[in-house]
Amino acid sequence: MQEFEFEGKTTEEAIEKACAELQVSRDDIEVEVLEPGSAGIFGIVGTRKAKIKVILKKEEVEEEIYPEEEDGLSIAKKALEEILALIPMEGKVEGYTEDGKIMLNVEGDKSGLLIGRKGRTLDALQFIVNKIVNKSLGKKVQVVVDVENYRQRRRDSLIQTALRLGDKAKRIGKPVATNPLNARDRRIIHLALKDDPDLDTRSRGEGLLKKVIIIPKKK
Amino acid sequence: MKELIAYIAKALVDKPEEVQVTEIEGEQTSVIELKVAKEDLGKVIGKQGRTARAMRTILSAASTKINKRSVLEIIE
Repeated sequence: MQEFEFEGKTTEEAIEKACAELQVSRDDIEVEVLEPGSAGIFGIVGTRKAKIKVILKKEEVEEEIYPEEEDGLSIAKKALEEILALIPMEGKVEGYTEDGKIMLNVEGDKSGLLIGRKGRTLDALQFIVNKIVNKSLGKKVQVVVDVENYRQRRRDSLIQTALRLGDKAKRIGKPVATNPLNARDRRIIHLALKDDPDLDTRSRGEGLLKKVIIIPKKK
Repeated sequence: MKELIAYIAKALVDKPEEVQVTEIEGEQTSVIELKVAKEDLGKVIGKQGRTARAMRTILSAASTKINKRSVLEIIE
């Protein structure tokens, strides 16, 4: 909150001066009269200048128009743009909100630098942007960062893999394992095969990366 | 590289004014030293070092772009 003090012969004059100097309209400021000022006797003895405190109102109107999600969106977008600029990496960030989640997509990274091996750089960016947004909002909001729709493509290919391995498990009648995957990728596999009555899926392993075992059910 | 780490660190801590980043440039490898207020140490390291790991991953991507290697050290 910015505060200023102004003086004038009368409080009105002080307010006019404040508006002129700060280049704001009367509606944008809050005025607190510190000393009302006095014309004194015959305007000679005991004249006191009026003193006011002016508080610049933050643009509250704008905040009311945008719901909180939009705020998170602009914070997230700005944070990601800032990081990209410092890498330095040219890229256009597009953002929108969906089911309370903030979705950011970067266009223009043809090299895959921002994706990294198996999306590791992308996950790191997403993690950091999440932290920044949650810190400035003071509450948890999920931010999804994507580059050139990598996540969608990854998801499609994981579903394909799940279906292929599911078929294999049924054909050979034995459990089949995927590569070690992170939690999000494993979830995609589990969900892809959830509705298959002949298959069961389980995660196996330790640490962040685990394999998904696809088990054919005995009839 | 230095600015990148400084920006991220400042956005994560409670006392951004106490964030200090120094870069010791080598021929191929740069060492980036990050110093934060004592009570902010956990914020830049994160649970099981996740935040530190994420910063290192982003740093190495940025270094790859200029064909260099960078190491992030968090100074206690």
